[in-house]
Amino acid sequence: MSSVKKKITHLYWRAGFGISLKMLDQASESPLKITINKLINDAKNPELLDMPLPVYQKILKEGRTKKQQDVLRKKLNQENQDVKVKWIRKMVASDNPLLERMTLFWHGHFALVSGKSSHFTKTYLNTLRKHALGNFGDLVLAIARDPAMIHFLNNRQNKKGQPNENFARELLELFTIGIGHYTEEDVKEAARAFTGWRTDKKGNFLFSERHHDFDRKTFMGQTGTLDGTDIIRIVLENKQTAKFIATKVYRYFVNERIDEQHVQRLADVFYNSNYNIEKLMRTVFASDWFYADKNIGIKIKSPVDLLIGMMKTLQMDLKTDKSFFFIQKIMGQSLLNPPNVAGWPGGKNWIDSSTLIFRLNLAGYLFQNVQVDMAAKPEPEDKADRKIKLKLATTMDVSPILNYLSRLDEAAIFSTLSEWLIQADFHLEKTELDPFIRHKTRNHYVKSLLLRLMTLPEYQVC
Amino acid sequence: MDRRNFLKNTGLASTSLFVPQFLSGFNRNGFVQNGKNLIIVQWSGGNDGLNTVVPFHNDLYYKNRPTLAIPKKKVLKLNDDLGFNPMLSGLKSLYDDGLLTVINNVGYPNPVRSHFRSMDIWHTASSSDQYWQTGWLGRYLDNNNPDNVPHTALEIDDSLVLALKGQDKTGFAAANPARLKKAASNSFLKKVAHHHQHDHEENVAYLYKTLIDTQSSADYLTEQSKGYETKSRYPSTSIGKDLATIFNLIIRDTNTKIYYINMGGFDTHANQKNKQEKLLKQYSDAMKVFVKDLQKNKKLDDTLIMTFSEFGRRVKENSSHGTDHGTANNVFFMGGKLKNPGVFNEAPNLRKLDKGDLRYTVDFRKIYASVLKNWLGVNPGDVLLDSYKPLDII
Repeated sequence: MSSVKKKITHLYWRAGFGISLKMLDQASESPLKITINKLINDAKNPELLDMPLPVYQKILKEGRTKKQQDVLRKKLNQENQDVKVKWIRKMVASDNPLLERMTLFWHGHFALVSGKSSHFTKTYLNTLRKHALGNFGDLVLAIARDPAMIHFLNNRQNKKGQPNENFARELLELFTIGIGHYTEEDVKEAARAFTGWRTDKKGNFLFSERHHDFDRKTFMGQTGTLDGTDIIRIVLENKQTAKFIATKVYRYFVNERIDEQHVQRLADVFYNSNYNIEKLMRTVFASDWFYADKNIGIKIKSPVDLLIGMMKTLQMDLKTDKSFFFIQKIMGQSLLNPPNVAGWPGGKNWIDSSTLIFRLNLAGYLFQNVQVDMAAKPEPEDKADRKIKLKLATTMDVSPILNYLSRLDEAAIFSTLSEWLIQADFHLEKTELDPFIRHKTRNHYVKSLLLRLMTLPEYQVC
Repeated sequence: MDRRNFLKNTGLASTSLFVPQFLSGFNRNGFVQNGKNLIIVQWSGGNDGLNTVVPFHNDLYYKNRPTLAIPKKKVLKLNDDLGFNPMLSGLKSLYDDGLLTVINNVGYPNPVRSHFRSMDIWHTASSSDQYWQTGWLGRYLDNNNPDNVPHTALEIDDSLVLALKGQDKTGFAAANPARLKKAASNSFLKKVAHHHQHDHEENVAYLYKTLIDTQSSADYLTEQSKGYETKSRYPSTSIGKDLATIFNLIIRDTNTKIYYINMGGFDTHANQKNKQEKLLKQYSDAMKVFVKDLQKNKKLDDTLIMTFSEFGRRVKENSSHGTDHGTANNVFFMGGKLKNPGVFNEAPNLRKLDKGDLRYTVDFRKIYASVLKNWLGVNPGDVLLDSYKPLDII
């Protein structure tokens, strides 16, 4: 593969979920800068998740019996699941990969477990989408006012005289400046500043004067009748916040192993641009070091990266929504249900004996529509002995790949597909894989080669 | 430093990494472990401790549980205050034989009533305002698994609990070793594993190593579990089957030290009685066979069984004949080497409640500290990252 194509593939894996062969050809004809520009410009026009939520609308209205209400709640739960699936399908189908990637990144950063309201879930995802490449300060403020977050981190219970520190603590520890750069006293004072930040039933932000503490507070050395907006302003004035976010971005988009100089450069750009996320990401993608060999093919794909990447590559859909939840759960990354507010630790943490074997076999399960002989752990609320097993039924369309390869012989197909799908150093020779590949027709060859390549440990990294 | 050098320096380029040592060890010496076994049984959903170990002498219990309380005369009495749920006759016989300890009022400060969060706290041994990414037994493995045997800790399940995930080492999950062997060792993955290079980048090398370890352990466990079939009759429930699997592996002296199993269904918000009693009976019946089987085969002195749940339930029953999420709960230990078999501490205080819930008097991390120090023989502080005084239970 030409070095230009290698770079573009790398860019698209990190800024999205891979690239099609045809787009790769097109992109390789223009300078890399143009490709980066397009990715960023597209993502600056965020298409929001748009779906009607009839059950939620209905549940807002009063005047039902308890039984009717219970039925409706069950339906609301289903509608909430529908929102999650809609998001996943969007990641697969979207031609705005950076927007989808940034949304996923921010979900891991501002991690929350969605409640029961489909509307809150949708609003939260749209908050992330709206600000995905915008200003970080605006994003933090929007998150502080977001109904799903207010609910998740108990800010409704945060009242004058009875502060609940949950949101204030995570704001400092996980969302902005990081542990070690503030005191316990700062947490207490920040909590007071966010008292009265709540939402109405419909999820609109509501500032309750009755519950807000209007007295003087001292936060990180500044004293005044501070409110939540002031806390966010003060914490962003501290350059450590830029460093904290730049480090997280570097670890996620570039390499878990930090290069102190590169991170410092990102932190400077971020801080000096007043926390412009677009500028930060542009600096990452435009830097030479982003394309250094030591940063390519070394990141363990998250379960969602793996699934979405496969589905995009094969133009695949899963026939039942349940399959989405089963696959996520068994690989250890259920969107909108992270282990806790710290999000997913990532890296080698994704891998243990059972998740790895499932990940390696995933392509096979999806290609062959088999019954997966594994059970996901039941939810605590589940009845006893409930084992969730699943047949993974899929539809897929590999005709664009077949068309693209239609004039090539086996050797050329082998090198095209392996270079396209495998970012890691690749040592296998065609002859070594041949015994595992069907050679009857070109179609057989391409399909079985796709399957085998996607089963290699090397396919688990990008 | 170039990559190759880096790999050399971190030991990742070394070929020995790819040779599962326990296998060569087994072949050479007919590997015999002879160590102690720890079995953890997790009750998911929050078991109602008050209807498990019943304070039958306490009016408040009957007052708070008009429909759910177990009548005094049905309780299997342990002492003047407490008795087992009638479904626990198997446990009662173990209790009578001095093979069981009940610890009451186990919990932690600022209890969380969310299943996930509270289970996380039990798994990681963190405080309720800390978010830790590694499990307590995982950290034990990090420090104490020099031979790198992947199945040193084995969960009988298809996926692995957080409790068994360490920073560098993890436990091993296999609901059925033969099935895992099939998934991990199809001809293609066998070929792939044989074909690994020794200069893979760190993460790819880690994937290959995990693949090869998994194949070896699955092969090994499949062979071992074929080698012995218990002569006792275990109930054909899921817990019965899990315990029979564990028994066979213990008899075969595999190098598994820690076994982990999970029973679900304890989240009894409505119509609790039948649901809970069915589970208690399954547990008790299977446990009795298991413990007696170990005793008969002279393995009970080397075995410690701990059972816990993420929280207990509200003292007052709700309007649906169930109970809601609560706080402190009981923990059971079984084994041949218990220091203080019987009821270890005072019965729950139903008068001094915290918002309707029991107050804990024993921090669960003290229990972990006892297991680590007095059973696994390690310094608890290294695993729990703080010092907790062990209890006099083991």
